[in-house]
Amino acid sequence: MHLFDFPDRLSPMLVKELRQGMRTKAFVGVFLALQIILGVILLSAGATSASYGAGETISNIIFIFFSIAVLIIQPMRGITALSSEVKGNTIDMMVLTRLSAWRIVTGKWASIVSQSALLLVTIIPYLILRYFFGGMNLVGEIVFLAVLFLSSAALTAVTVGLSASSSVILRSLIPMIGLPIGACFLLVAMLSGPFRGNSMSSFFALDTEESRIFVSLYLAACAYYGFFMLSSGTSLIAPYAENHSTLRRLISLAVTIIAAILCSMSFTNTDALPFFLTLVLLPVFAISLSEFAPLAAPTYRKFAKRGALGQFAGLFLFPGWASGFFFCIVLIAISAAPFLINQPTSGGQDHLINGLACLASMLFPAVIINVFRINGPQRVSNYVLILIGSIILSSILAGITDSLSNENLLWLFCWIPPVLMFLEEMGSASNNDVLVYSFIICIIYIGTLLLRAVHAYRKSIMDIRAHSDSE
Amino acid sequence: MSAAITVHNLYRFFGPLQAVNGVSFEIPHGSVCGFVGANGAGKTTTMRILASLDYPTMGHAEICGINVIHHPAEVRRLIGWMPDHFGNYDNMTVLEYLDFYARALGYKGAERRQRIDEVMDFTDLVPLADRFSNKLSKGMTQRLCLGRSLLHDPQVLIMDEPAAGLDPKARVELKHLIRVLAKEGKTIFISSHILSELGEMCDSLLFINNGRIVHHGDAESLKKSTDLLGGVLYDVQLDGDPQALSDWAVLQPNIEFLESRKNGGRIRIDTEDPNKAADVLARMVKDQLRVVDFHREQRNLEDAFIDILANLEKNQPAFTTPPPLPPQGSLLPAEPPYEP
Repeated sequence: MHLFDFPDRLSPMLVKELRQGMRTKAFVGVFLALQIILGVILLSAGATSASYGAGETISNIIFIFFSIAVLIIQPMRGITALSSEVKGNTIDMMVLTRLSAWRIVTGKWASIVSQSALLLVTIIPYLILRYFFGGMNLVGEIVFLAVLFLSSAALTAVTVGLSASSSVILRSLIPMIGLPIGACFLLVAMLSGPFRGNSMSSFFALDTEESRIFVSLYLAACAYYGFFMLSSGTSLIAPYAENHSTLRRLISLAVTIIAAILCSMSFTNTDALPFFLTLVLLPVFAISLSEFAPLAAPTYRKFAKRGALGQFAGLFLFPGWASGFFFCIVLIAISAAPFLINQPTSGGQDHLINGLACLASMLFPAVIINVFRINGPQRVSNYVLILIGSIILSSILAGITDSLSNENLLWLFCWIPPVLMFLEEMGSASNNDVLVYSFIICIIYIGTLLLRAVHAYRKSIMDIRAHSDSE
Repeated sequence: MSAAITVHNLYRFFGPLQAVNGVSFEIPHGSVCGFVGANGAGKTTTMRILASLDYPTMGHAEICGINVIHHPAEVRRLIGWMPDHFGNYDNMTVLEYLDFYARALGYKGAERRQRIDEVMDFTDLVPLADRFSNKLSKGMTQRLCLGRSLLHDPQVLIMDEPAAGLDPKARVELKHLIRVLAKEGKTIFISSHILSELGEMCDSLLFINNGRIVHHGDAESLKKSTDLLGGVLYDVQLDGDPQALSDWAVLQPNIEFLESRKNGGRIRIDTEDPNKAADVLARMVKDQLRVVDFHREQRNLEDAFIDILANLEKNQPAFTTPPPLPPQGSLLPAEPPYEP
C-alpha cells in the first residue's frame, strides 16, 4: 500500500486529480498517440532526407499535433471536472474538509495543466532532433510552445469553470463545438504562411515591439480570462459562507483601471476602443450581473465591523447581483474616461455608438433575467446563453436586412443591442439617430436594473440584520 | 453544558415550497437520535443546514454550542457527514480515497497514515484497500463513506439515510458500527424512513412531517403507546382449538378480535388500563379457554407514526394549510405558525 507517492506540500486536490488523471484512458491514449505520431514523422522525414525548409515543415507538423492534444483534447477533459463532482454529490463532502472551493477548482485545473506540461516535456526530444533538419529559430519556437501551453491552460480554465454550470449547453455543447473551432482558428492564424508579415517562428522570437506587445497582451488576456473562469466556477460550487465575489471584483476593478489608463494614454485606434474595453468588462459583467449568492452572515459581519466605510464598500462588493450591478456602474464610469479623452480626429461617432451598443449588449441579458425573475444558480448560464443568442439573432437579422436592402427590419429589433452595431455599420441611417437610440436603450436598461437592484439589495440587508437580531 | 445539537425555529423556504417550517429540537451529547419522515418531509434539508451545507431562511442551529450559520468552519471540524447518495471516484483505490480526505483534513505524514489505518480497521476496509472505490458494493461503499466521515474523529455524526439500498447483512454491519460509535460517546443524528431499523439503535426519535416536528420521544414509549382510539393489542395463545378465541371474543364488549394465529390470535382491548386486561384474562379462564400465553404486544413504529399523523390532522386542521409567510424583508414571522 503506497501513500507517499506525492509529498504533503502538494495540494490534496492536485494529488487526487493526478492519481486519477494519469490512469485515465484519455491521457494515456493522447500521450502514446503523440509519441507514435511524432516518432513516425521524424523517421520518415529523416528517411526522405532534408530539403530546404523541411525543418520548418516538421516544426509545424509537431506543433499541429501538439496543439490538437493541448488545445482541444486536454481542455475537453475539464468539461466534466466539476459537473461529475456535483452529480456525484462529492462536492459537499469536500467542502466539509479544509479544502476551500477555490482550492478544489484550481486543483482540478492544475492537474489537467500539469498533464499538459507532461505532454510538452515529451515533445522536446523531437524538437531537438528536428534541429538537425535546419532552419530553426530557437527562441521563436520556444516562445510559440510556451504560448500554446499557456493558451491550453487558459482554455482548460474555461472548461473547468464552465463545468460547474448546471446548464448542459453551456457546460458541454459550447466547449465541444467552440474548442475545435477556436483551436483551428488559432492555429491557422499562427501557422498560415507569413504571420503579420513574418513567419511564425520569427514573430514569436519577439524581435519587434509589436510582437512583444501582442504576446504580452495575449498572455495577460489568458491569465485574466483564466482567473475569471476559475473564480466563477468556484462561486458556483462554494458553500454560502465562502465569499469569492469581493476578491474577483477588486481584481477586475484593478484591471479595468489599468486598461482605462492604457487606453487613455496610448490608444490611437478609437474604432477598436469599445471592443477592447468590452473584452475587459465582459467577464465581470457576466458574473456580477447574474451572480446568485445570498448575503451570508459571516460575509456581512466582515464588512459591518469596519463601520460606515465597510457598509459603503459592501454596496459594491457584497456577493449577489444587486451589489454586482452597483459595481458595474463604477466600472462603466471608469471605462467612460478613454472615450472622453480619445476623441477621433474625423469627428465620427462610431466609437460612441459601438461603445453604447457593447454596454447595452452586456446589460441586456441581465435585464431579461430580472424581468423574468430567473433565480437560482442557472442565472449565470442564462446570462451567457442570452448574450450568445442575442448576437446570433442580430447577425441573422443583419443578414436578412442586407439581402432585402431594407433597414426597417433592423430598426424593429433595435432593442436587441447588438443590432445597433449592425445599424451603425450599414450606415444608411443617420449616425445621430443610432447614437440617440443606443443612449436611450442604455438608460432604459440601467434604469430597469437599478430599480430591481435597489429593492434586492435593501431586502438582503434587512434579512441579514433581522437574522442577526434573532440570535 | 449545551446540547450536542440545538435547532430553534428553523425555517427553509425554496420559493413557495416550505421545506423546513419552524423546526425546534435538542439532542443531548452522546445520544443516538433517529430522524424520521416521509420523502420530502424536510429531513435532508434540516440535516444539510446542520452540516453547514445550506443556509436557513431564518432561525438558528448550533452544534456543540457553535452557531452553524455564523461559524461554519468551526462546525465542520465537529461534524462527520454522510449524505444520502454520493458517487465514488473512478481510478482511485479505497486507500487513495481515504488518503485524499485525510490530506484535505490537514493530516500529514505518519499521523495521516495512522488515522487512515485506524479508520480502515474500524470499518473493516483493510482487505479492500487496493480495490477501486467505484467497484465496491453498496454496503462496502457505505462503510467507506463512514470511514471518511470519521477521519477527523468528529463529535457529532450526521447520517442521511445511511441504510438505504443496503442488503440485510450490510444493514446489520452498519447498525453494529453505529452502536460502537454510540458507545464511544459520539452523538449520532441519523435519518431514515425505515422506522424499525431506527427503533433498535436510537435513544430518541424525531418525527418530521411537512417540515414540522410532530413528535420527539423514545422508541420504547411509542411502542407501548395506545393506538389512535386508545386501545392496546394483546397476543393470546391457547392450548386447544384456536377458533375458540374468536368465537369467545365476538361476544365480549370492548374487545375486538383482529387476526387468527397458529394457536390463538391477536385481540384489541379498547383501554390501556392493566386492570381491564387482567379482567379480560380472568374472564377467558372463567369461560374455560385454556390460555397458555397472554401478553401485551408492542406496536410497530410505522403504526405509531401513522397514528401520530392522523391524530395531528384530526386535532389541527390548520396543519394542512400553509402558514403565513414572514413579512418581506423580515426573517421573523409575526407569530410562529406552530409550536410542537
